[in-house]
Amino acid sequence: MRVLVVDDEPIVLQSCRRVLEAEGWEMISASSVAEALSILESITPELLLVDVKMPVHDGMYLMRKVRGKRPGIPIIVMSGYATSETIKEAEGLGAAIFLPKPFTPDELADTLRSVAKSTSQD
Amino acid sequence: MLYSTRSKLVASFLGISLLVGAASLFIGVRLFDEHVFGEALNRVRQDLNAANEMYVTRVKHVKTSLSITTLGLAFISSVRDKNTTDLALRLERMAKLVDLDFAGVVAEDGSVLCRIGPDAFPRPGRRVENPLAKPVLEQRVAISGTAILSSEFLIEENHELAERARILLASGPDAATGAREEITSGMAIAAAVPVFDGNLLLGVLYGGLLLNRSETFVDTVRETVFQGESFHGRSIGTATIFLNDVRIATNVLTPEGKRALGTRVSPEVRDHVLDKGKLWTDRAFVFSDWFITAYSPIETISGGRAGMLYVGVLEEKYSDMRRQLLTVYILLTLAVMLAAAGLGYFIARRITSPIQRLIQASQQVREGSLNPELGPPANSEIGVLQKAFGEMVEAMGRRRAASELRVIQSEKQASVGRLAAGVAHEINNPLTGVLTYTHMLLRRKDIAPEIRSDLQIIVEATERVRKIVKGLLDFSRQTKLDPEPTDINRLIGAAISLIENQALVKGVAINFNPGENLPQVTIDRSQIQSVIINITINSLDATEPGGHIRIFTAASLSGNGAAQEGIEITFADTGCGIPSENLNKLFDPFFTTKGVGQGTGLGLSVSLGIVQRHGGHIRVQSEVGKGSRFFIWLPIERRAEHESVGG
Repeated sequence: MRVLVVDDEPIVLQSCRRVLEAEGWEMISASSVAEALSILESITPELLLVDVKMPVHDGMYLMRKVRGKRPGIPIIVMSGYATSETIKEAEGLGAAIFLPKPFTPDELADTLRSVAKSTSQD
Repeated sequence: MLYSTRSKLVASFLGISLLVGAASLFIGVRLFDEHVFGEALNRVRQDLNAANEMYVTRVKHVKTSLSITTLGLAFISSVRDKNTTDLALRLERMAKLVDLDFAGVVAEDGSVLCRIGPDAFPRPGRRVENPLAKPVLEQRVAISGTAILSSEFLIEENHELAERARILLASGPDAATGAREEITSGMAIAAAVPVFDGNLLLGVLYGGLLLNRSETFVDTVRETVFQGESFHGRSIGTATIFLNDVRIATNVLTPEGKRALGTRVSPEVRDHVLDKGKLWTDRAFVFSDWFITAYSPIETISGGRAGMLYVGVLEEKYSDMRRQLLTVYILLTLAVMLAAAGLGYFIARRITSPIQRLIQASQQVREGSLNPELGPPANSEIGVLQKAFGEMVEAMGRRRAASELRVIQSEKQASVGRLAAGVAHEINNPLTGVLTYTHMLLRRKDIAPEIRSDLQIIVEATERVRKIVKGLLDFSRQTKLDPEPTDINRLIGAAISLIENQALVKGVAINFNPGENLPQVTIDRSQIQSVIINITINSLDATEPGGHIRIFTAASLSGNGAAQEGIEITFADTGCGIPSENLNKLFDPFFTTKGVGQGTGLGLSVSLGIVQRHGGHIRVQSEVGKGSRFFIWLPIERRAEHESVGG
């Protein structure tokens, strides 16, 4: 399974890579929305894990772009500051689930697994 | 508005006094006209009677004088002997005594024996018929009264008299344009008496006084009847004798101050008195002034109407009285109006000055003062208004204090919230790293037990950090309410079921007594549930095993200011209680009495924020060692004003 993780925080990207690789999944990281969009030009991941708050363009912007281009990819939204408005907005843009930061490796892995499972069932 | 009230009052006072003044003026003038003028007319009528009486007396006087003369034996023998010298002497004496203008003796053949005047002994042959002697010679009885003497007779009798009788007709304002240019005949008070010698008619004695230009009679009437009464230097009463409709003897004056001889009476009066022979009393414009007048016809000896007798009172006397009355009334009305205006102004001031004060007070309140000056209490409805105003301001003060407290709380919450949000966001990223790597390390099987236990401590500490950050976020998360009608008892029941286990473990009983027939409240269920859980857990933490927590609900009116319907949830525990010095700080963010790691000090602060955003409030009663009571009051109907606190 190939997961594209988008976050401007290197420590978050590193942590995710550590967990995902331990699970045996492939992870592609992008530290900005622009980078993620350019990666998506050539690669189609099975899952997208996106941070909300990022400089220049935020996660919501990316989701809108992805929904237009690749409507099939399930998106997991993560944030360190989750208000119900943010969650509602993310869900409105087609986010599969909301993952509050911080999370443990198990929480991350379980979330990814459950989303991947429900998607493959569809 | 204020001035218009004052001017309205003054205007209505003015209006009333003007109305009363005008009415009394109208009535007064009407009464004056009816009574005083009526009285004046009566008086003039009586004056005319008096004048008539004087006229008749004068006639009688002439007749009596002549009669007495004819009875004298010497006079009879002189007539019989035609002793004209003696007769002339006697005639002169008599005329002087009785004030006669003419007198004479006519023989039984109609010839004049003798007369007074320049032609005392006329030559026989030149004879103008004597209108007085003729009927007496024929009838042999005396006559007396008013006689019209022709100009020929007057010339024959005495040319001076004829001259006196001539009156030029003036064309006065009331004068009709007659054809006659002058009057030449005379009007006289006259008598003629037969002279007998036994049964033998010897002749006739006649005599009289010419009224033309005579001042004596009219002036005597004025002096006698009006007794010289004058008005502004003018004699108030006037008398006139008319020959037909022309003034021949009068003391009515022209504007030049001359007697108004030769002027005519108005056609109206002439028609009424001369033609119809009636009495006339009314106001009339005589020559140049208004008079209150009375006219009566004068009949001649032979029976025809030959002239009029007139008396009149200058109306100016009465119209002046009327003017004075009017002036007094008008001045009185003006004075009353002035007084009314003053009174109105004074009353209006008394009424409006407390209102003015109230307006100033409301201005003071608008400018922020909650202790405005209301002035001395008025003892009218205004006083009630003052009291109500004062109470309103007081209530405003109470509510402002309450809302100020709420604003302070909210501001505190908002600033802490903003800080918390920023910090949380930044901390959560590295925290993810810490959690990830420690957990990954713990997954390894090849690590020494002491390292594992160290890692375990890192995980626990990190979990604590995570909890604190979560608390901060909850605190700052002042998300919009998502209110829906809710059965509060069910919501509390659900919340308790979440904590029951925890209580059971600790050995604390939670008893819930739901109030009956409570109305639904419109609230954000999840937020209010977290409040209920938070406060219950606080009570649970404060209560020793064996203690209990009682929760009950009841309908209740809001305690602050306006009575608003709502419900109250009471949490009563048998815990350690809260020292009074801590009661004030209870809802401050980060205030906690729990041990390190056991609480963030944000729970109550967050709870208060949620309840306040619902328009409710939280109260606390506590006694150290006995327990605490928390009261949450929530309104049944929500008001929009509470929602937008913080952000």
